[in-house]
Amino acid sequence: MRTIPIFFLLGLLAGSPTPAAAQSPQLDHFESKIRPVLVEQCEVCHSAALEKPMGGLRLDSREALRQGGASGAAVIPGQPGQSLLLKALTYKDANLKMPPTGKLPDNVIADFEKWIADGAEDPRSTEAEESTGGISTKKQEGPGTPIEEGRKWWAFQPLTEHAAPKTSKPDWVARKIDSFVLAKLDESNLEPSPAADPRTLIRRAYFDLIGLPPTYEQVEAFAADPSPEAYAALIDVLLDSPRYGERWGRHWLDVARWAEDHPTSESTNGPHPYAWRYRDWVIEALNDDIPYDRFIRMQFAADLLPGFEPADMRALGYIGNSPMYHKDPRLSRDVIETLTSDDWDERVDAVSRGLLGLTVACARCHDHKFDPITNKDYHAVAGVFASTWLVKRPIVAMDPAAADKLVWDHERLYRVKGMLGNIKELDTIAPELHPKVAEMDAEMKELEAKLAKDSTPLTHAVVDCGVWIDGSIPTVTWFDLRPGQPRDLPIFIRGNVANPGEIVPRRFLTVFAEDEPEPFRQGSGRLELADKIVGTAGPLAARVWVNRVWGWHFGQHIAGTPSDFGTQGERPTHPELLDDLAARFVENGWSLKWLHREIMLSATYRQDSRHLENAAKTDPTNRWLWRYAPSRLDIESWRDAVLQVSDELELRVGGPSEPVDTECEARRTVYSQMSRGRPHAIFQLYDYPDTTQHAPQRQITTTPLQQLFVLNSEWMEYQARSLAQRVYQIRDAGEKITALYRRALLRDPTAEEVDQALSFLAAREATVGHIPWPEYTQILLSTNEFIYLH
Amino acid sequence: MAAPLARHAPAYGRAPLSRRAFVESLCGGFGAVGLAGMLGAGTGPNTVGTVPIGPHFAPKAKHIIFLFLTGGPSHIDMFDPKPTLQKYAGQRPDSADLRTERMTGGLLPSPFEFKRHGQSGAEISELLPKLSGIADELCIIRSMYTFNPTHTPARNLIHSGNIASTRPSLGSWISYGLGTENQNLPGFVALSPSVGSSQHWRAGFLPAEHQGTHFNHSETDPEKMIRYLRNTKLDAAAQRQQLDLLTTLNRQHREEAGSDAFLEARIQAMETAYRMQFEALDVFDVRKEPATVREEYGTTDFANGCLLARRLVERGVRYVHVYYGPGQPWDDHKEINSKLRERCPDMDRGAAALISDIKRRGLLDETLVVWGGEFGRTPVSEAGDGRDHNPYGFTMWMAGGGIRGGITYGATDDFGFQAVENRVSIHDLHATILNQMGFDHERLTYRYAGRDFRLTDVHGRVLKELLA
Repeated sequence: MRTIPIFFLLGLLAGSPTPAAAQSPQLDHFESKIRPVLVEQCEVCHSAALEKPMGGLRLDSREALRQGGASGAAVIPGQPGQSLLLKALTYKDANLKMPPTGKLPDNVIADFEKWIADGAEDPRSTEAEESTGGISTKKQEGPGTPIEEGRKWWAFQPLTEHAAPKTSKPDWVARKIDSFVLAKLDESNLEPSPAADPRTLIRRAYFDLIGLPPTYEQVEAFAADPSPEAYAALIDVLLDSPRYGERWGRHWLDVARWAEDHPTSESTNGPHPYAWRYRDWVIEALNDDIPYDRFIRMQFAADLLPGFEPADMRALGYIGNSPMYHKDPRLSRDVIETLTSDDWDERVDAVSRGLLGLTVACARCHDHKFDPITNKDYHAVAGVFASTWLVKRPIVAMDPAAADKLVWDHERLYRVKGMLGNIKELDTIAPELHPKVAEMDAEMKELEAKLAKDSTPLTHAVVDCGVWIDGSIPTVTWFDLRPGQPRDLPIFIRGNVANPGEIVPRRFLTVFAEDEPEPFRQGSGRLELADKIVGTAGPLAARVWVNRVWGWHFGQHIAGTPSDFGTQGERPTHPELLDDLAARFVENGWSLKWLHREIMLSATYRQDSRHLENAAKTDPTNRWLWRYAPSRLDIESWRDAVLQVSDELELRVGGPSEPVDTECEARRTVYSQMSRGRPHAIFQLYDYPDTTQHAPQRQITTTPLQQLFVLNSEWMEYQARSLAQRVYQIRDAGEKITALYRRALLRDPTAEEVDQALSFLAAREATVGHIPWPEYTQILLSTNEFIYLH
Repeated sequence: MAAPLARHAPAYGRAPLSRRAFVESLCGGFGAVGLAGMLGAGTGPNTVGTVPIGPHFAPKAKHIIFLFLTGGPSHIDMFDPKPTLQKYAGQRPDSADLRTERMTGGLLPSPFEFKRHGQSGAEISELLPKLSGIADELCIIRSMYTFNPTHTPARNLIHSGNIASTRPSLGSWISYGLGTENQNLPGFVALSPSVGSSQHWRAGFLPAEHQGTHFNHSETDPEKMIRYLRNTKLDAAAQRQQLDLLTTLNRQHREEAGSDAFLEARIQAMETAYRMQFEALDVFDVRKEPATVREEYGTTDFANGCLLARRLVERGVRYVHVYYGPGQPWDDHKEINSKLRERCPDMDRGAAALISDIKRRGLLDETLVVWGGEFGRTPVSEAGDGRDHNPYGFTMWMAGGGIRGGITYGATDDFGFQAVENRVSIHDLHATILNQMGFDHERLTYRYAGRDFRLTDVHGRVLKELLA
């Protein structure tokens, strides 16, 4: 049945009411008990201050209240039983519950009943009094940006290649990118910086593409032949390295908010032991340069695509490893449904901001206030996730029926265990549950015994399965899972699951459809959703991805808010460049490696990074790209680099994650254990993004606590000792210093630097009786030169 | 396009973007902003740091100490006497819906005697003799309520205004708004014996520098309390020599690389870290307090936390969250009476000593002390001698920081189950705390994921009646 929302109320506390002189007990009752509630609870949605009060109903004057809204009079004096206002407050009618934020206390409802029974005294004039609250006096906007209007927004336009603009220095232009950049520099009377010297450039390219420094020998070889051909060949070599996927896969893992457990780890949301398989798939996919559109499709629906191989199942970890909230089955149906809808919301948000730069989750409670995304659109997309369930699936070829059985046995065990973890104690108190609990206990033991014998390798994935909440037993809430049956969600009015409205078919966002969008018809609709994202919305998806890639190369984006391409985001600094690059990216088969070459072969990328006073005055944030902006290495690159130069780095590929800071753990940081609830201190210190939700980009901070790690941690001390040992056989102190510079800083020391080192070492020797080389090597590993990329 | 609702209203004063642009203008496009959370202003000509939003109006308080009783302390046994429970002991009157998430039995009267204390005549039970002695400093709110009956979501709510575990903590909002006063210490400190609740001091979408810095106050030795604080191999002189060479190399590199501000920022951060090793050794060592002071507070973990909180706010830390833990000790599902007898003396002594001590030092006016847990407990028994979670009505108190002392505000129903008079939500509490720190809670916003977020979301009322 369709719900007609009569009273939309938002539980907004809008300040104190204006007290009027009370003259009678009835008026007194109104002033003390009724008016404050109307002001605080109702008028934010139902007052003359709004251009369109919800349901056409105003509650801010006597006349308006008696006249009512779309459904008739809200209050009939003397007849509480006939007054819709009271009916809404009592929550007895499933379709008429106000305020939507929750039922008011019984005594407040009793106050309203008494007030109406006593004749609904109401001193307020026809002219609505201006509320004293700051919020409700503001004019309410219409329902977001109209779709038609919204379609004109730059981000929704088709991709177009643009002719290279005319510039002041055609000779400087190496790739098409450069013309666009130079044209903007010309406009601001800025000059591009000179080309970086070869030693700087090769270090930049190594860290950028593989997240590791080159060796001294590699630097010198390139410095001996820094020709454009040698540089292009260098990039090819790096792109072919298996280290490349470990670096760029890590970037993708940021977008995918990948981790191996949940914001909390409780009985119903235990950790994901096979999350590493998704990480490995991402690394392999990047190394294989799988076209980006296919890369996305696989992560939603690898199992439904032509050419599916069982190992592709790992791709489903994008949604399969989503953060999940704990759902104590003793909570009420509404609370469990709210928590479950929070899970769906997280996925809508991660997908829409991550892949499309759209803040669709803003439209959860109402139409988007700024972008052409409706409340219906939100629920249409959320329905795909309400029709999708997180399960473990096999990554080897299997008989489909056996695979299905295995999947659901594992699922059942995970859930039964989670429930028993919370309800066992109820067993003794709630006798009606006794048979059920005993049954589940037996089932759990049986499943455990059975699955213990099974060694099929599994990965965290998804299946098509509608999710409902079963509240039929009052003391315990269960999930009602219906494999193969999708669920179209009702609009949860104002985000309140207890107030369901019209059912919305699963489909894509209206703004991308010519007309009314077609409903999804295949299972949950996850493949159709992916098809829409890289198909109809492909131009936007390509822009968002190209902009992200640009940001990882340059440390700053063309559009400064990489996860918000809506009207509240920053406009691109170089709109034609972004458009042109995205168009050519698609034309070149959505190939990421093509995009790397295009960017890294440009003169823009190859600029020097030095700070130039005059240019910085004109453009302090380098938005016009007058230089390559230097940056601090992120935690992965820095840790991996320390390990590499001290010869500790173990380049084993893939497999289960390992701790990050033990001395014996020397694998690349991408293979470290990653927890949402308890991220390791070193990740927290070094700006690792929050994995409980999608993070648009990393923030780079410099804090004293980071330096405490550098100065004092046993890990650093161990690496410093290892580095010192690598030059153990060299006798001469000066030669030793040179060798250490070559290892750590990839260059020879200056004479001054050798002197400085020698006098430090002599002073320390005088104190401790021997030359403490590790104290010195720790300094080299701690330098700005080591941790900054130029 | 005008913003229709406060949640979408632009930030007051300097908008986050212009603030970021400012930082970037100093840092050449890279926010070396974390420094500011620790460094504050005034570290010389090359200062690099964030610009705090700054208060919207003159603040009443400069510091907050939040004493958090993890698990949900029983208001009925401490601050909210209910004679009706005696009358109906063991019964469940039909008139009252006393259902909570677990199976509960009849009404369980408190065995603890309540008396009126101080000039204000505040009713406090015999469990809390020391707090009774300073009753006139306390603003007791008996009508708190929250929105979730489960520990984790309710704790998330009281820390961040939302039941999800992803939003910025109250302390992060304060740090974001005001920055820090002490260049060698963090602005937001969490004192907890376990890291298991790190989501409670998360900066969420706020810049990472505003995350709470966690210290384990069950250790009294600062070296054990602060990770990587001390070098186990080198003494201060050796490390100074090391740092001198490092700084020399970094300065040479800076000249070579073009004098970007963030390069100097890391040099400064290194120096701060070096100094912090010694400052922290002093600040974080409560053993340096005179014996009389330690005697006043007691020497339990919680007492040490209270004392350390005082030492920190004295030195300019904005926000200290002290957890009574580990685990959730106040979650008294059974044997509540004997457990409260064991646990209350320690809490009572530490909390009361803190207030008396900071008052003597003239800090109470500018330090807001907040006391409470994620919810209260039921008037009905659970498992015969325990009490279940009660989000519908419970007690918290505040002291100092421009809050009126010696008042008892609001009331629960006859059973102590639901807040009925002058109900105070968690959002109201947050709005009031922000107000005391100089912020209009509707205007302290941060633009993230397409909209402006607030600690109080679309809720919250400043409890003007409680302000001094």
